[in-house]
Amino acid sequence: VPRKRKRGLSVGVGVSLGGRGVWGSGFRFAFAGSRARPPRRVGVRGRRGAMSTMFADTLLIVFISVCTALLAEGITWVLVYRTDKYKRLKAEVEKQSKKLEKKKETITESAGRQQKKKIERQEEKLKNNNRDLSMVRMKSMFAIGFCFTALMGMFNSIFDGRVVAKLPFTPLSYIQGLSHRNLLGDDTTDCSFIFLYILCTMSIRQNIQKILGLAPSRAATKQAGGFLGPPPPSGKFS
Amino acid sequence: MSGGRRKEEPPQPQLANGALRVSVWSKVLRSDAAWEDKDEFLDVIYWFRQIIAVVLGVIWGVLPLRGFLGIAGFCLINAGVLYLYFSNYLQIDEEEYGGTWELTKEGFMTSFALFMVCVADSFTVGHLDHLLHGHPL
Repeated sequence: VPRKRKRGLSVGVGVSLGGRGVWGSGFRFAFAGSRARPPRRVGVRGRRGAMSTMFADTLLIVFISVCTALLAEGITWVLVYRTDKYKRLKAEVEKQSKKLEKKKETITESAGRQQKKKIERQEEKLKNNNRDLSMVRMKSMFAIGFCFTALMGMFNSIFDGRVVAKLPFTPLSYIQGLSHRNLLGDDTTDCSFIFLYILCTMSIRQNIQKILGLAPSRAATKQAGGFLGPPPPSGKFS
Repeated sequence: MSGGRRKEEPPQPQLANGALRVSVWSKVLRSDAAWEDKDEFLDVIYWFRQIIAVVLGVIWGVLPLRGFLGIAGFCLINAGVLYLYFSNYLQIDEEEYGGTWELTKEGFMTSFALFMVCVADSFTVGHLDHLLHGHPL
């Protein structure tokens, strides 16, 4: 907000010609009698303010991401993790996964038909337990989905049109729809809230789960199907 | 040199699913340490990847290293450093853990996302400095 000063006729002319007054004016003439500051300081101050805000936004988004990850785990703990059914199913799935993995490692191609059938039965049992485990987690997924839809709506309106970070590269064209969402201008290195938030969530949430010991075991994840591949083929010896 | 089998150590309990005891970190820099628990070793690889992602993200953003060269550089360094660590330094048998690919992809996507966050944050700070001092009005 520009400081109020006495405005003589010269300054008044400057305002009408330059637009927003001496402080924001692009009109660089220094009129006789005007007490305007040189535009240089105004520009630097304005940019410094904008960039400081940008960095503050970046830190805020990281903080929001940490809080939402903790909130999600908290909701899941209340609705799912502390229930006996979940604990029992999880222990069962982990035990079966490890057992199955060990069996698959030790079995050979020339193993008997009975052994192969046994493995297939165990895989089927594990699949059913995994499905039951997913059903138990469904409750928390709905609750989290509901909360996060509301939260995201709020954050999107807060950060709408704001450049929250600068990227050192130009994202691929199909990612620009996300990274440059609702931003003005053509500078594709400008980063929007949603892109930074997604990156933060991808990194922070899993790390928080690991730190709190709430991440599913690798054997269970492998049997259920990981990120980079489908579930391991059942009955590989048939 | 022969691969992975080292002197036996008494098994140590590990915190559930990803958190590591302090004693595990004391084994990390010992090339003669025994890793009976596969999950424990994979967790070490995972956390190493996250640390590399944070360090490289800050350095890349401060330099700055622009363009996809920076991203490719991160992927190569991340995979390469960990490969040298488990293959040359620890000399473990990769087949015990499902092969080199399984060890390489352990925690990779999470570390990549963390790298992107760190590089964006540090580049934004660097950008602030550059704008203020590199472009007189």
